[in-house]
Amino acid sequence: MNKPLLALALAFGIASVANVQAKTPAVASPAPAINDAQIAHIAYTAGVIDVTAAKQALQKSHNKAVRAFAEEMQRDHTAVNDQALALVKKLGVTPQDNPTSQSLASGAADEQKKLAALSGSAYDKAYVANEIAYHKTVNGALSGTLIPSAQNAELKSLLETGLKLFQSHQAHAEHLALSLK
Amino acid sequence: MLRTTILLAGLLALTGGFAPASAASKAKPPATAPAHHVHVIVIDQMQYGPMPTDVRAGDIIEWTNKDILEHSATARDGHFDVDLKPGTSGRITATAGTLVFFCKFHPTMTGTLVVK
Repeated sequence: MNKPLLALALAFGIASVANVQAKTPAVASPAPAINDAQIAHIAYTAGVIDVTAAKQALQKSHNKAVRAFAEEMQRDHTAVNDQALALVKKLGVTPQDNPTSQSLASGAADEQKKLAALSGSAYDKAYVANEIAYHKTVNGALSGTLIPSAQNAELKSLLETGLKLFQSHQAHAEHLALSLK
Repeated sequence: MLRTTILLAGLLALTGGFAPASAASKAKPPATAPAHHVHVIVIDQMQYGPMPTDVRAGDIIEWTNKDILEHSATARDGHFDVDLKPGTSGRITATAGTLVFFCKFHPTMTGTLVVK
């Protein structure tokens, strides 16, 4: 697992532990569970990261199928983030920066540098492999931590829609990876 | 004679009066014409909903996109390509055969429909 994904997995692992602790009455001072403002920030950050990766792919890749996939990522994650922004505005919630979002952002910047150094089919394969790993991790975090922790029903529903969408992205990326071998 | 004339005039007037109505009724489609049904396929959560059954040539197939993303119903054989912005619907008139379609934006979304 690469560095940003490890950071993400660790961050979500910690969040999961925090949730379990928060639900245990015997614990005197439980670690605070992740709140909706933080969940919204993490989900939005995860979307921005994939849009940025897609833009890089559209600048670097000449493979028609890879470019179509990148366009899909750019379009869909932008649409979901637009919905997320509209929802937090409606709910009067200000997305709250947090260590998970920060790890995600710095890890993604590192990954983008690595990908920038590649070209041709080496770049295509690395980009798609990273997309598979990234979506797997984000989907695991959505189903394991973010969706169960979300308190607002509309936020939970949007995250559930996002999970369906990102599972479809993962399937598309896995299918695409097979064609690049 | 006068009575006969009045009767005849009345009869002509009546005939004339009914003539337009008769012409109008001829413009209506015959009652025996087969009705063309509208079959709706709902798109939600990155999936095409259940495929309608008993679809006949000439029926309308309508896709309704309830997702927050743009989708399409695009024929594998290129016969139709319906763009569906979020919250909109699009239609085609069915032709006999097996219609295989997919979303050109999300290739993992596919559907197959049999039209008799």
